[in-house]
Amino acid sequence: MLLLQQIVTSSFTLFRIACRAYRPTSAIVLVGLCWVSISAHAQEINPLAGNARAQYAGGVLFRAQCATCHGADATGIESIDAPDLTAMWRERAYSDRQVFDIIRDGIAGTIMPPHDFTETEVWMLVSFLRSVGESGVENLPVADSGLGATLFNNHCAECHRVTNAGGVLGPNLSDVLRRNSLADITASVRQPSALITSGYKAVRVNTNAGENIQGVLKNEDAFSFQIVDTNQQLRAFRKHDAVLTEQRESLMPAFAESELSEQELLAILNYIQSATGATP
Amino acid sequence: MNLRDVTMQSRKANGRARSKVVGLAVSAMLFSASLTQAQDGPDYEDLLAGFADAERWLTYSGDYSGKRHSPLTQITPENVARLRPVWTFQAGTTTRGRGFETTPLVDDGVLYVTGSNNYAWAIDARSGRSFWQYQRNLPNNLTYGASAPVNRGFGMLGNRLFMVTLDAHLLAFDRRSGEVLWDIELADYRIGYAATLAPLVVDDKVIVGISGGEYATRGFIDAYDPETGARLWRFNTIPRPGEPGSETWPDDPEILARGGGGTWMNGSYDPELNLIYWGVGNPNPDYYGDQRPGDNLYSNSLVALDADTGELRWHYQFTPHDLNDWDSNHMPVLAEIEWQGSSRQVVMVGNRNGFFYVLDRVTGELLLGKPFTATTWARELDADGRPIILNDGSQGCLPDPWGSTNFMPPTFYPGLDLFILTARETCATFVPEEPANQPGVANFGGVVYIDGEQGSGALRALDVHTGDLVWEFTYPSPTFGGVMSTASGLVFAGDHEGNFMAFDAQTGENLWHYQTGSRIWGAAAMTFMLDGQQLVLIPSGTTLTAFALEPLN
Repeated sequence: MLLLQQIVTSSFTLFRIACRAYRPTSAIVLVGLCWVSISAHAQEINPLAGNARAQYAGGVLFRAQCATCHGADATGIESIDAPDLTAMWRERAYSDRQVFDIIRDGIAGTIMPPHDFTETEVWMLVSFLRSVGESGVENLPVADSGLGATLFNNHCAECHRVTNAGGVLGPNLSDVLRRNSLADITASVRQPSALITSGYKAVRVNTNAGENIQGVLKNEDAFSFQIVDTNQQLRAFRKHDAVLTEQRESLMPAFAESELSEQELLAILNYIQSATGATP
Repeated sequence: MNLRDVTMQSRKANGRARSKVVGLAVSAMLFSASLTQAQDGPDYEDLLAGFADAERWLTYSGDYSGKRHSPLTQITPENVARLRPVWTFQAGTTTRGRGFETTPLVDDGVLYVTGSNNYAWAIDARSGRSFWQYQRNLPNNLTYGASAPVNRGFGMLGNRLFMVTLDAHLLAFDRRSGEVLWDIELADYRIGYAATLAPLVVDDKVIVGISGGEYATRGFIDAYDPETGARLWRFNTIPRPGEPGSETWPDDPEILARGGGGTWMNGSYDPELNLIYWGVGNPNPDYYGDQRPGDNLYSNSLVALDADTGELRWHYQFTPHDLNDWDSNHMPVLAEIEWQGSSRQVVMVGNRNGFFYVLDRVTGELLLGKPFTATTWARELDADGRPIILNDGSQGCLPDPWGSTNFMPPTFYPGLDLFILTARETCATFVPEEPANQPGVANFGGVVYIDGEQGSGALRALDVHTGDLVWEFTYPSPTFGGVMSTASGLVFAGDHEGNFMAFDAQTGENLWHYQTGSRIWGAAAMTFMLDGQQLVLIPSGTTLTAFALEPLN
């Protein structure tokens, strides 16, 4: 492991030297020439990271080669199970190298094929995907995480989970700071029905037997649907046994400023940060 | 509209909901991933009860005994011809050269299913529609896991599911959300380890084994705390220098440390004796034995371990100094049978080496060992229970490395006292070569030439008192499908051509078949009651198919 790190470091140094040497030439040429000096070793870090031209070139390549499945904006196409690539960094905690390998090797057992791109082209794609990847909360203002723990347990834990404590009716919030901006988090607390995370759509179920059940919709076809009910149990129904009504409002109550102040929300987020060891 | 009021009203209307919400809040305040959240799923008493609840199938074999014999009787020899598919579930992930090997678990109308490449799902048993899907983000430098990217199923306790992974981790899930609660490393996959079996939940332990005997690894059986993932004990299948069994190896710690002995198939459990029974795989290198003179314990053995401590109670070695990759990773089948006038607690194994064995499971005493195929390796055992070896593989026409049978589950039919298994008749020549023994590199130690012209398969029913063949149904090619029986007198089995079939348990007559479209490989059927109907499920290719006598929809 140490050896590998030394190789990466030394080749990276070479790269930097080469870049400096060729700085006067055009950026495109620079990218190519720099690459010559580093291609002998497997890179863990994108050698083109932060390079705006590489990002741009990667975007061009992406729209030509990848957008058919993943969409021009890289947010995926649900009907063909092509994943949202803007979300993959936070959802799967991929490294640049892992994304590089997936592009080059494909994913066995799926329709994601291996690709015959040059290494430079793959790194350009990685640069582009980084540039469109969602980012989390940066510089979370410090607040009372002890108060946040109390507030979380009183208001959130019934439905939401942080680490392994809490419910499953709403999304797991362990990664909320890595996934969303502070503005997005605030909006989802103040107006939870404005944007409901996929898999958490509120539904009402009226069964022929007279049962009235609330829950969140997990799956549905023409004949059946599958929910997590407010008892937090998996339940499935056939449509001739029950009527499914989608609710416009989320099961999550809206917290106005008067019910949960900005400072209290920050306290909760500080608690989540400390409970999960999150460093957004 | 104030949604909070609405949800509170609905909860007030339902006392069960209210109490659970309180429970959740309390456990959340304790900041612990406590099992107090998981009162709804099966507890240990339920697992002990096995098939008692007809609507459940809670462990890999349905109960701890490994018989895979369901008490359900709605589907009978008389009506099985009316069996038809109800739904199929498409996994969307495949394993070239292997199978969809899982046994689904079912509780409260929800199936919990693992798939190839460490996919997993919760599926509505009525419609075949999923609640959630999990897919592990696997490294791309898998070792053994890349060659067999399969999985055989979940273990379940309370609201928790347990699954092992191709990068040799053990995961605990919340079964309601598919979220991972904890994730621990069993061993370093980069050396050659992987894991594919269905964890065995016994009381307050999750017991797992490991794959990787084709690499320079040392096998083990581990027990973990279901709540935290902390390891409780480990049994090394290859001893350390000076430990019992090390006298059957060269006096060289390096050779012992890479001695193989994988434990990649499920074990069974006897709650009365508190013993788990587990098969151990081949020594490493597979075909080249010159570096490891001796019997190479506990490779190719059955071990009986104390479930609380992992201590070895007894062992029996089926294939001393194996040169043919005949792992003894089979489901050990526990039963009480009449033996020469008295009742005996036995464990039975149909072995890759071509012999059927019956042992006293209290003492490990060998009661019977008899060939069930045309194996030319040996035809009888001596007075000490050792095989009298006729052919080490160099003369051809042994069972191939896949064996006379393999890990595909057999079934035991009580009353008829039949052990029913998939038999493979194959012919192969082994040519050993000295290997390099490098970590992370497959280390077979030679090559094998399999004569494809001579292969065939069969479903065979053996009289457990004599090992004699009672009936058989022949297949055109060597088959990897497993077997299940039901108390109505039926046997369900799958073949290499993709047929899922039902047989009369007494006569072996084929009563029904359905072409699934892909070979049935490593999997056996499971069955349960749902809405008054008996469902039978079989995985095949990328498809899980549910059958019943009448359509449910």
